[in-house]
Amino acid sequence: METMNKTAPILEAVNLSKKYEDGMLALNNVSFEVKPGEIFSMLGGNGAGKTTTINIFLNLLEPTSGEAKINGIVTHESPLEAKKNVAFLSENVMLYPEFTALQNIDFFVKLGGKLNYTKSDYQKVLKRVGLQTEAHEKKLKGFSKGMRQKCGIAIAILKDAPAILLDEPTSGLDPKAGHEFVKLLADLRDEGKAILMSTHDIFRAKEISDYVGIMNKGSLVMKKSRAELQGENLEQLYVQFMAGYMDTVA
Amino acid sequence: MFSILIKKELIAILQNPKFITTFAVSSFLIILSVLIGINEYKNNLAQYDTGISLAKSKIEESRSWHSINAIAYRKPDPMQIFVSGVNNDIGRFSNVSRQGEVKLQNSSYSDDPVFAIFRNIDFAFIMTIVLSLFAIMFTYNAVNGEKEDGTLRLLFSNSISRAEFIASKVVGAWLGLVVPLLIPISISFLLIISFDINFRFFDWSRVLTLAFVSITYFTFFIIFGILVSSITKSSSTSFLLLLTFWIITVFIIPRVGVIAAGQIIRIPSHAEIESQLDAFSKDSWKNYTTQLSKTWNERRLQMEGMSESEKAMYEDDNSWGWMQTDDKLRKINEENITDYSRKLFEGYKNNRIELRKLALTLSRFSPASAYQLAAMNMASTDIALKVRYEDAIQLYKEKILSHASQKAETDGDSFGLRISMDSEKGISVEGGRDQNMLDTSELPQFAEPSYTFAQIFEPTIIDISILFILSIACFGLSVYRFSKFDLR
Repeated sequence: METMNKTAPILEAVNLSKKYEDGMLALNNVSFEVKPGEIFSMLGGNGAGKTTTINIFLNLLEPTSGEAKINGIVTHESPLEAKKNVAFLSENVMLYPEFTALQNIDFFVKLGGKLNYTKSDYQKVLKRVGLQTEAHEKKLKGFSKGMRQKCGIAIAILKDAPAILLDEPTSGLDPKAGHEFVKLLADLRDEGKAILMSTHDIFRAKEISDYVGIMNKGSLVMKKSRAELQGENLEQLYVQFMAGYMDTVA
Repeated sequence: MFSILIKKELIAILQNPKFITTFAVSSFLIILSVLIGINEYKNNLAQYDTGISLAKSKIEESRSWHSINAIAYRKPDPMQIFVSGVNNDIGRFSNVSRQGEVKLQNSSYSDDPVFAIFRNIDFAFIMTIVLSLFAIMFTYNAVNGEKEDGTLRLLFSNSISRAEFIASKVVGAWLGLVVPLLIPISISFLLIISFDINFRFFDWSRVLTLAFVSITYFTFFIIFGILVSSITKSSSTSFLLLLTFWIITVFIIPRVGVIAAGQIIRIPSHAEIESQLDAFSKDSWKNYTTQLSKTWNERRLQMEGMSESEKAMYEDDNSWGWMQTDDKLRKINEENITDYSRKLFEGYKNNRIELRKLALTLSRFSPASAYQLAAMNMASTDIALKVRYEDAIQLYKEKILSHASQKAETDGDSFGLRISMDSEKGISVEGGRDQNMLDTSELPQFAEPSYTFAQIFEPTIIDISILFILSIACFGLSVYRFSKFDLR
């Protein structure tokens, strides 16, 4: 955290393209950046390239061309170094079902390089994300999606990485859980995290994001700041871009 | 990072409900097999001691050096507790006499064939069949299961390398499965001590090596399970593949190896060999008879025109020479038959050795066979046990007969039979006339075949190497395959 440059982007996609072996173009020259204390939401339909972008940042995929950088480190060149600077939360947080919430958190947090936390640190964070105390020692196999999501957020918080990648994090959450999640996200942003989120949830994206991008067929067809979106109907914009009525990138 | 991953694997195994079941079953089976083995060994030892006493008193009752009869018993080996091998299949003793052939007879299974149906459950059997299956059950979804569960993506959002992940899977599963296995193994060793089994340092070396080989075999199945789970997408596919591989490895290849060797090296049966010998013998004697009648005809022709007195004189002058010539011809014929018989049986024996070698080589394609062979070698209950004992008994026979002949010459012998015919008592046959006991105190004692640890270990090197190489190759392949694995 000390070495973090407040003005330099933490997450950066530079002309990112991904073409699969079958010829499908999943990403087409996508560029954006997310600075500390910013939330950048990627909107788009299925197959738009949102998850591919996140997978490239996590080095689960290699780009065909371009670069994805985390804290200035090119992910496909130094993946292990780059991933030290990122926490990840997926749509359906899958943890080890036979492990308790605390066991799962202990494992993933230590894997994230944070070895000095105590059990009470874990419990504090679990409390912060809203997981009931009686669930802390329970096995994950009985947890609802929302409860698993809370464990996932706890892991991301405890990893304390400068960047957070979220892949459809609010999908399937009930309104209350969704609201709590957005609140937590705002707190993390306020702590200076650079957050990249892929989502279908236009309403929450507009509510929380500093920047919103719309992706269609692998291209980032629109990127607007919170200020630029003031007074705009994001839903209408989204539909227009997805339908191909508009093809300009802001 | 590596230690964190290993710790997680360990917790995952120990918290897995199937761990308790498999641990309990394998521990129970191992301890039970050792208890059964100890009981059987003690019975065999008691049987052996009784046999030795009987053999001793039989020798002491001998009245003639020429008809001395000894019995050589196969001493039970305490390692049979862990690996029975061919112990129950081969005979327990052989008669040693001037007339009879050395042949181990009365095997446990021939005494009671019902035991041959289901064979023995020993430590090696449990390792070969049960624990290899358990290893598969714990590793079939090690990699693809994580993908199916969705944990792989979260795992690799952290800075861990793929090689590190595979290595942690192997080490974690190894520690989680092998270390608990050491508990029943250690209890087995304690049972050996508490039941006062005569385990020398040599035997402890063998049993520890056996434990090492067993763990290597178990490790192979752990790594192989991980390999298959890293090359297949779904855990159900990997389970099916592993199960098929397990059946082929444990049951099919060892048997197919032997059958294939029998097809490659065609060996005539013992009956065929005897029939060949019989045919040759008949032909030889026929030729001999023809030759003999031709010779006699020639001799008669030479006497044609002679008067009866001249003939008688001629016959008197030549009959000794003719007898010698005929006898020489007979002896040559006999030697030819003996030579042919020796060559025939030598060829038969060599072919059998070749067949055995080929069968073992082909069977070794299966890690289960490699393990079984190594275990049997370490326990000295391998297929060469019969030959080793029969060779040692043959040597004993030569020594004892030579000693008996020497004694008969120096001390004299009472060899002979008295056949009496009496109108009232009928026909009676008596042994030696001299009823004095023989001094058998200097009679050579049977020495069991002995071997050093190095001699036992040497043939197992190939099998241990096979298990090692296969394990390392599977690990390398797992790392390679996982480097191409789609983590999404």
